[in-house]
Order: sequence, then C-alpha cells, then structure tokens
Amino acid sequence: MTVQAANGTTNAPRRPPPPGGGPWALGSVVAGALGSSMTRYVLRRVLWGIVLLFVVSALTFLIFYAFPSADPAALRAGRQATPQLIEQIRHALGLDKPLYEQFWIYIKGLVLHFDLGYSYENNVSVSSQILSRLPATIALTLGAFVVWMLVSLPIGIISAIKRGSAVDRATMGGALVAISAPVYWLGLIVLLLFSRDIGWIHLLPGSGSYVPLTSDPTQWFLSLLMPWFVLAAAFAAFYARMVRGNLIEVLGEDYIRTARAKGLGERRVILRHGLRAALTPIVTMAGLDLGILLGGAVLTETVFNIPGVGRYAYDSIINSDLPAIQGTVLFGAFFIIVANIFVDVVYAFLDPRVRY
Amino acid sequence: MALLEIDDLRVRFRTRDGVVRAVDGASLTVERGRTLGIVGESGSGKSVTALTVMGLTRLPNATVEGRILFDGTDLVGLPSDELRRFRGSRIAMIFQDPMSSLHPLYKVGWQIVEAIRAHEPVPHDVARGRALEALEQVGIPNAAERMDSYPHELSGGMRQRVMIAMALVLDPDVLIADEPTTALDVTVQAQILDLIRSLQETHGTGVVLITHDLGVVAETADDVAVMYPGRVVERGPVEAILGAPEHPYTWGLLQSMPSFSAGAGRSERLQPISGQPPSLIHVPSGCPFHPRCPHAFALCPQVEPPLVLSQPGHDVACHLAPAKRQAVGRQLGLEEAARGGVATG
Amino acid sequence: MLRILGAARARPAAGAAGVAALLSLAVLAAGCGSSSSGETQSAASAASGVATTPPPTPTSCASKGGTLKILSAGDVDHIDPGQAYYAFSYEITRPTQRALLVAKPNSIDLQPDLAASMPQVSKDGKTVTVTLRPGVRFSPPVNREVTSADVKYAIERGFSTSVANGYAAAYFGVLEGAPTTPPSFPEPISGIETPDTHTIVFHLSRPEAVFDAALSLPLTAPVPEEYAKPFDDQAVSSYGLHQVATGPYMIKNNAAGSINGIGYQPGRRIELVRNPNWDSSTDYRLGCADQVLFQEGYQDPTVLTRTILSGAADANGDVPPPAAELKSILANSTQSKQLYFTPAGGSRYIALNTSKPPFDNLNVRKAVAYVLDRNALRLTRGGAVDGAIATHFIDPSFGARGFDQAGGKSYDPFPSQDFSGDVAKAKDEMKKAGYENGMYTGPEISMVADNVAPGSDTAKVVAADLAKIGIKSKIVSVTHSTMYTKYCNVPKNEPNVCPNVGWLPDFHEPQAILDVPFNGKNIVPSNNSNWPLLNDPRVNAAMDKAEQTLDPSARYGQWGAIDKSVTETAAAVPWLWENFPTLFSSRVVPALMVDNQGSPDVSLMSVK
Repeated sequence: MTVQAANGTTNAPRRPPPPGGGPWALGSVVAGALGSSMTRYVLRRVLWGIVLLFVVSALTFLIFYAFPSADPAALRAGRQATPQLIEQIRHALGLDKPLYEQFWIYIKGLVLHFDLGYSYENNVSVSSQILSRLPATIALTLGAFVVWMLVSLPIGIISAIKRGSAVDRATMGGALVAISAPVYWLGLIVLLLFSRDIGWIHLLPGSGSYVPLTSDPTQWFLSLLMPWFVLAAAFAAFYARMVRGNLIEVLGEDYIRTARAKGLGERRVILRHGLRAALTPIVTMAGLDLGILLGGAVLTETVFNIPGVGRYAYDSIINSDLPAIQGTVLFGAFFIIVANIFVDVVYAFLDPRVRY
Repeated sequence: MALLEIDDLRVRFRTRDGVVRAVDGASLTVERGRTLGIVGESGSGKSVTALTVMGLTRLPNATVEGRILFDGTDLVGLPSDELRRFRGSRIAMIFQDPMSSLHPLYKVGWQIVEAIRAHEPVPHDVARGRALEALEQVGIPNAAERMDSYPHELSGGMRQRVMIAMALVLDPDVLIADEPTTALDVTVQAQILDLIRSLQETHGTGVVLITHDLGVVAETADDVAVMYPGRVVERGPVEAILGAPEHPYTWGLLQSMPSFSAGAGRSERLQPISGQPPSLIHVPSGCPFHPRCPHAFALCPQVEPPLVLSQPGHDVACHLAPAKRQAVGRQLGLEEAARGGVATG
Repeated sequence: MLRILGAARARPAAGAAGVAALLSLAVLAAGCGSSSSGETQSAASAASGVATTPPPTPTSCASKGGTLKILSAGDVDHIDPGQAYYAFSYEITRPTQRALLVAKPNSIDLQPDLAASMPQVSKDGKTVTVTLRPGVRFSPPVNREVTSADVKYAIERGFSTSVANGYAAAYFGVLEGAPTTPPSFPEPISGIETPDTHTIVFHLSRPEAVFDAALSLPLTAPVPEEYAKPFDDQAVSSYGLHQVATGPYMIKNNAAGSINGIGYQPGRRIELVRNPNWDSSTDYRLGCADQVLFQEGYQDPTVLTRTILSGAADANGDVPPPAAELKSILANSTQSKQLYFTPAGGSRYIALNTSKPPFDNLNVRKAVAYVLDRNALRLTRGGAVDGAIATHFIDPSFGARGFDQAGGKSYDPFPSQDFSGDVAKAKDEMKKAGYENGMYTGPEISMVADNVAPGSDTAKVVAADLAKIGIKSKIVSVTHSTMYTKYCNVPKNEPNVCPNVGWLPDFHEPQAILDVPFNGKNIVPSNNSNWPLLNDPRVNAAMDKAEQTLDPSARYGQWGAIDKSVTETAAAVPWLWENFPTLFSSRVVPALMVDNQGSPDVSLMSVK
C-alpha cells in the first residue's frame, strides 16, 4: 500500500471521464481500477500461489512418509498376503521408488494432465472423487455463509447501537456460548432434537439425507438446513462480535460526526457511513473463512453424513490413501490461496486508500 | 434580532467518574454577517456548546438546559427529527481535522451530493451540478475532476475547502467552524480563513469560529467570547476584547501568546497562566478561575461572578472593580500593540 | 466408551483393522455411556450375558419388493469380489456373487451354491472335482451362462499383482502350477482343469483339509475372462468397477457395465438392484426386495443405531450399537426382539513377543497369563454382553469342530477366581523364571496400541496388570492400521506386547483359527500375523499333520489338542470370544450370516 503524498498531488490513475452513465461507466471504472499496477499485483500473487501449492504438496508428501502411518501396500494386500505379493503391489503402485522420484511423477501428472492420481484404497481417480464431492461442500459452505452473515450483521449492528444495554449483553453472552459449543456436539444435539428419524420433534431430514440439488431440490434444501445452522453458529457468533466491535469503533470516528452534522438520518449514518467502513475488514475475513471452509468442513460433514470433500479428506487420512490425501490437501490449499488473492483484490475495491 | 442566541446553556454528562459539567451557564450571540470567535483552552466547553447547538449532544447520559434561540425557535426543546432538518441546511458545522472528518471510502462529490439530497429532493444531476459549483466557489482547481476524488487523494487544505463547500452548499444561516485551521499548515491557514470570510461576505452567513488561537481571532472575528470551563467569562467586539480585555483569564491568554513581529526580542519570556485547567467534574466554587487568578480575593471563591455589562457591548464576569479591570486591560492592550503582538481590526 | 473400535465387521483379526474401526476420531461426541459403569453382572460368570440364537431362517418373502437400507460407517475394503476380504464386504458379495459353496443359512455347515453338489475328493485327497449347476447366468452386460472356465479364471486372477487377493496363496497355493512369485497379470494355472463346461477339477500338490471350505470364499465366484481381461491387464485391476453378478442382485451399472458413480459411490453408498438374469429355481436365496441400499458414512454409532430403531433404516452393516444404546435396547421389550448377537468365531488376545526377552521365557509368559484380569479386559469392551471370556482360542460356535475337543468352556490352564487374575500364582511362575521376589527386575518393555478407545483402554489394563509383577510398559499409541502395518505385522519392528490383536477365521475350520496365527512356518518379514512369533517345532509338526488330515472327526480332535498346546505356551493370552450385535428395524424380517459375524443377509431379508 502506498500512502498518498501530502503535497496535494494525487497518485490515482488518470481515468478518462465516462462518456455517459450506466454500464459503460461501470466498465471503465473496472478497467481503470484494474490498471496495470493491479494486474501486475494479481499476477505476482498468482505466481506466488503456484509456488506455495508446490511447497504444500511437497510437505504433505514428506509428512506422510516421515510420520508413522500405515503401509498402503500392506493395507491393499490384505491380511494373509505373502510378502512377495506385498512387494509386487508396492512395485505396481510405484511405492518402491525413491521419494523424490515418486514426487516428481506426481507433480508431472498434476501439471501436465491435472491428474491427481488414483486412490490406493479403491483405485478410483482422486480428481473425479473430489469433483463429485465438491458440490456438496460448496452447498454446505455457501449456505452456512449466507446464514451466518444474515444472522451476525443485524445482531452486531443492534448490539453496537445499543451498546451496554440488556440486549447487547444478552446477544454477546449468547455469542460466547455459540462460539464455545463444539460443532460436532452441536450437530448431534440438533439431530437428536429435530431430525425426522431420530429426533424428538420430527421436523427435518436426518443424517445422511443429503441428495444433489439436481435430483431433488426440496430434499436437498431441507437436508442442508440443520448443517447450515450448525456450521454457521460459531461463525455467526464470532462475526456478530466483530461487527459490533468494528462498528462501535467506527461510530466514534470523526466522519460519523460530520455525517450527523450534515443532518442525515440516523439510520443512514449508521448503515451507509458506519457499517460501510466497519465492513471492509469483515469482508476480508469472510472471504478467508470461505476459502478455508471450501477445503471441507470435516466435522459438520461427518456428523450429518454429507458426502463432501472434508469427509473425503478424513477418510483418506484414516485409510493412509496418499493420493487422496495429497489431492484434498492441494484442493484445500488452492481454495485458501485463491480466497486470499480474491479478498485482497476486493479490499482494494472497497477501500480506495489501498493501492498495490 | 440576533441570528443565534444562546442563553444560559448548561450541558451535563453523567459518567462513571461523576457528572461532567461541560457547559455551565454559557450565553452567546451570533449576528447575521458577523463572525463570533469563541476562545478558550481545551475543555472550556466551546466545542460542546457548538455541538449542542447542532443537536449532536442528545445522548442518553446528557442533560441540556437553557435556551438556544435560532431565528425565533428554541432548539433545546425541539424534537430530534425537526432539529435534523435545521442541521446541515440552516446551521452547518465544519471540524478540525478534515482528513478524519470526511468519509474515507466515498468520493468527495458524492459526499456533498448526499448533504444536498438529505435536505432537498432534487434529482441527482442537479445536485451534482450544485456540488460542482460549491467546489469551484471554495477555490478548488479542476473541480469537475476533483468531484470524483477520494479524500486521501487531496491535500489538507483542499480537504478543508471541501468541508467548507459541503457545509455551505445549502446556504446555511449559521456556519460553526470548530478549530478549522488547527490541523493545517500555517500558509494554508490564512487561505482558509480568507475563504471563510469572503464566503461570509457573499452569503451573509453568521460564522462562529471556535479556536484556542488568539491570532486567528484577531484576524477573523468581529466579536469574541472567551470561555473558561463551561461559561463565558468575557464577550464583546474584538477590538475591545483584545485591545482592552477586562478578565484576568483573557489577560493571561494574551500574555502567554508568543508575538510574531520582527521587533520582539527572542528573549521575550512567555508568561503561561499558572495552574491547570480545572476538572469539569469538580468545578471550583465561586469563580472557577480563582485558583489560578493572580488577582483573586476573598469574594472570588465564594460567589460566582455574573456576566454583566462593563462597557457598551462588552460583558465581563469578574468580581474585580470595573475601573481596575479597565485600567489593567488598557495597559495590556498597549503593551501588546507595542510588542507588535496581536493586532486588532 | 463407544465400542466402535474392533467391533466393526472387518476380517483381518478381531475386527480391529476394519475401516470402521478408525472412526474413533469422531467419537468425541457427548452422550456416550461409559462402558464399565453400571455393569452389575456377577463377575463370576464368564458367560456371555446374552443369548446368541439367530433369527429363524426365512423360507419365503413376507412381501416382494421395497427397499432394504443398511447403514455403515466405512466403505468396503475392495469392491472387486476377487479382492474382498472384510466381513462388511461379504454383505455385498453374498447377495451378488455365487461361490462354489456357501454356508447353509444359520449354520456353519456348507452347502453347494454354484456347485451342483458337494465336491468329490479323491482317496489321496489330491484331486477335487466339482460339478457346476446349469442355468446360472451372468448379469448384464455379459448375460451368458456361467461355465467352469469362469471359475478357473476367477481363481487364477487372484494370484496376480493386479488383483492381489489376500488369501489366494494361503488356500489355493497348494494347487499344482500355482505361481510362487505373483505374476503381474493373471496367468493360467495348470492344476485347474476344465474337462467340460460344467466340470472343474482341482489337482493339488498335497492334500489340504480345508480346501473344500476355501471353495466357499468369494474368490471362487465366476468371472468372465473375455469381459474382465482388459480390466485385469492393468497395474491395478479395475474389474471391480465393472463387475458382473450371478446372485439375485447386482450392483447397479450402466449399459457398458460400469458401476462407478452409479451403483458404487466410494465412501458414500452401494446400490443393489435385481439381477434380471437370475433364476430363483437354481438358488436357495430369496431375493425379496427390489433394491438394497448400503448407506455409508455414518460415523456416529448412536445416530446410526437410533436411525435403525426409528425404522428409517434396516440394519447395521459394520458398526455395532454402542454400549449405552445396547443397554437401553435390551431393557426395552419391543426393541430387544430386534437385536441379535452372533459369535464372531474367533478370539481377542494379548500377543507376547517370544523372540526376545523377557517373553522368550515360558515361565514369564505363564506369569502374564495368570496375572491378566480378563474381567477388566472384557469390561473395556462393554462387559458380559460383549461375549464370553476366552480361555483358549477355538470359539464356542465351532461346537464339535474342535471347541469341544479342546475341552470346551471348562478348559482353562490359567484359572483364577472370577477370571480376575491370580497374582500369587503369577509370582510363583516368575520365581521359577529366576526372579527372586516374583517381581520382574529387567528393563521397561514396549507395547504398541490403538490410540483410541476401546483399544487404548485394553492396553491400559494390560499395562496395569503387568505392573503387578513388576513389569513396566512403555506404550506407543498410533492408529489402528499403523499399529498393524508398521509395527505388529513387521517382526523386526515388533514391540514386546501387541495387546490389541485377535483373529477371526475365514471359515469354520479350526485350522483357520490356529494355523496362520501360531504356525512357525507362517512367520513372514512383513504382513506377519503370527504376532507372538511362535515357532514351536512340536506345534508346527502337529499343525502340518492336521492340515492334511482329511477325515473331519480325526482332524477336529487333532486341532483341539493343538489348541490346548498353543494355549499352554502362553505365547498369547486369549480373553474374549466376542459376540457381534446386529440390530434390525421392526419393518423387516431379519436374516443374518452366522458364518460371517452376524452380518445382515439381504438375500434372505424382506420388508414386512
């Protein structure tokens, strides 16, 4: 970020004034904003991202081999297999090659063919497994995101406005409870309360009832309601506290006083002036959280038996299925890196003081 | 009739440490087309007075008593949404630090347009046109381009001009400027003050200029009010206050100011006022200045001196005999003039 | 704590190595009952606290149609029937694949399945002839009738690296021409002869008593070579993802024959649909439901159990109901009728490494056998409801097939009051071993154990008991499969004690209980299952002889005696003859596989 010079000149890129309103103006705004410095910045980050992915991949490889984990060849061979058979399998899987060679083969496949290898467990292609599970994880993550933002924003705003009141204390206390509740426990409680098969109140479809959106939209939606709320709970609480804290801080700023002095209505002051400023760091955090969750919300997917990437990651670790482990780790890292770049770019849009 | 008349205003805040008596009996008048300079140290209540006029101190822990008559209406008892209609359109305020007082995430043009459309239902392009005019009026070059600038892209002086433009775009009757030049470079200060004065001449606005800098007051004010914790201790035309001040506090202020003339020697010793400004929670009894006043006598801690007329148009709140005050004041005024200090007129 | 670990239906060893066993990470949920509290059963009773009678064998369908739903935590080990080696996987192979022989319903005796009649064995035992049933056809897209060549190919492919069947070499290695080094791709075996389309003749290099029983394993289910060869000719065969069926059900596939993403969604579900080419007149199976769904991923066993109780699902596939749920089900008069316990057929034991001190000394081992509190050990898994306390290795379900011959329940060479261990006798043994006070004075011993309950609890009990004779243990905790594949199965990495092992038989022949785990010739440098590394020449010789004794009563007597001698070496201390609980919903007519740890048998179940 470069700080503006104090001499009155501006370093903002010169833009031609838009010839008219509407989409043309928007387009030129975007083009102008994506001036060469921004494009260069994004390119730099993307290149760094690729380097990072490579490092992550290598580290996963090393961890798998360095720490005691089960022997994939022996697992595949079964319990009475002869040592020769195990050795043959080891050879067929390429596990007898030196580590760097195995890694090189893996990287080559990945870069040239987007081939993440084949599962040691069931010989199904890892990329097809991840891709087939991605929609479930995306549905779970995005839905939870919507829920937690919809819940945390009003609560945070109201608590900030009515700071110190009973309402504020109640919501912040509740938030603390929601943050402390372990996701897995909360999920079980919710299931035992509301699921149609095993709950007290027969309200919503239970664990394992997830179906893809395309096959039955109603069932898809209903089966995700409980998981959305469970996953969103801790986040909503955390974000409510953040919104409240940021907004309180912002409302003490001078420009809020100016806004009031201009004679603006209180709602406009709080939302248009206060919230707008308070939200920028929150948008950043939300983007990062989204990126992390897209790597798989393991606990929620487990308790509700949603076949997502997180569950797949967990299963693959249990089964010492290295290609699957590699695949899911890379996927998770990829989403986090993309999310990072994305929020930084978005931040520049949201806060014009930021320049790359 | 005075444009704005503040009568025995008291503003108290309940805090954890006690009741803060921010304004404790202030009376001020602002005339059309004239500038009232309010002087005092920090904590003297000048800003709170201004904010109370704007209705920006209506908090759960605040009590406001007294009268603020604006064009015949008492603003103290006015319901909030009605007061809001005055705020920004008929009484406008600009603040000390223009960098933090402008919203960093919106363009300046947008912010001015917002001010317009908050009070007048004009279409967007009309408002933009007026905003552009306002920017040109305050002397911003390339105003059309600058409309789409963000505050951080402008220099300090330009930002303050923008604030002024925003305050004046709706042609308010009163402009309150709270330390408008304190955060600016010296060279820019003069420009801004000139600007305010010229705008006042064109629009006939009554200006309240709050400052701790007597030099600024000397330059710009027509009338002066000196405030000391929460109350006005002396008020009158600028020539009288600076030429022949009659309150020990004002004397102290004058003496503690460095002079700028080439003739004054560097060895000139400043005489700060002894002691600290009083706590607004535990205000000294009687005359609040008595602990620091070199002329205090027995009566001072006991009875609070009322603000009474001393000379035509010149009110003072002090127990000292008027004759003695005037003598000291005149003497000081001459000394100041000799030093080439604060010039009047 | 929850009994997921080890009680899952997985064949290798005491169920502990199953995929489902490793769910324990998810077991942090609240709401689990404690396994050891509230157990008021008299400790004097070693017996299992529950009856182990299976539901009556259905002879007809209560209704034709509907869907059966089985819930599981994990996936099958392999979807290819030629590789499948987990009890859970057999829940898929039993209804879809017809091996030469199969267990009679609710029995451990065998009957012909694909075979038309029981195998004919020559006098010298080296020739086994089987006639195939006519009229059995493959499912689409192969469709044609099954021939003996298909059975021959099925067995041959098991030896290749591409298919890599775990038991092929063990039971079929005795075939003439069987490869000693695994070929990369399936190759013909000269010892399997197919004189005509419905006859298959096996030529053995020496008699093998269990060869008949091995013919009930899914490796002998027919595989059409012309269809399967392209899949088998890869480094890792993909035939499993394109398999065809011969039973009443098939895994749902597309027109080209692929099940991937259709009937088989790895880690998610397996869907069986009717095999249109199945002829019910050729089969004992009923095939009542139209569709069978195996829904995987139910990591929380309480949720799984309650889903079955609510009727939303029909049976548990691999994970048993946790102890707390079992208690409440048993206390409920309606629900307790839906719960069945089946002896697993094997035992859990503590393996002592006999290849290095201190357990290379017989008396020290005997001391351990005396000091171990088998009651406490059983409590770590839920107490009496979990099964009977074991005193030797052949389990009670074997009956006259060696259990009685080994002395039955009353044979206990290391008795103690209430099975809680006898410290005094243990110390006596230690003194005989040369430790003056009866307390061990040597260095710390090593133990590698499960890192989650109940395996970790078992290890703690063992460590505490060993301390009573002065043996201090250093416990390394790892995941279940790591414990096996990196430590206990690799002799040179093996610690002094492997406390979480056990053995379940592939079929109900006592050889299948005792040979691999205790025969010295089966010690291999990796993937070793003879954890005590027992290599007693007399025991070895007795086993080798029994392996070739064709007359059943003779060999059962021999194996009974071997069971006794192995027990008396105290190389491993057995402590549990485990029962597996199977819970059915009230909306189905239950049926389970007595020969397969009580797994639900969907080929006989129907919707009421």
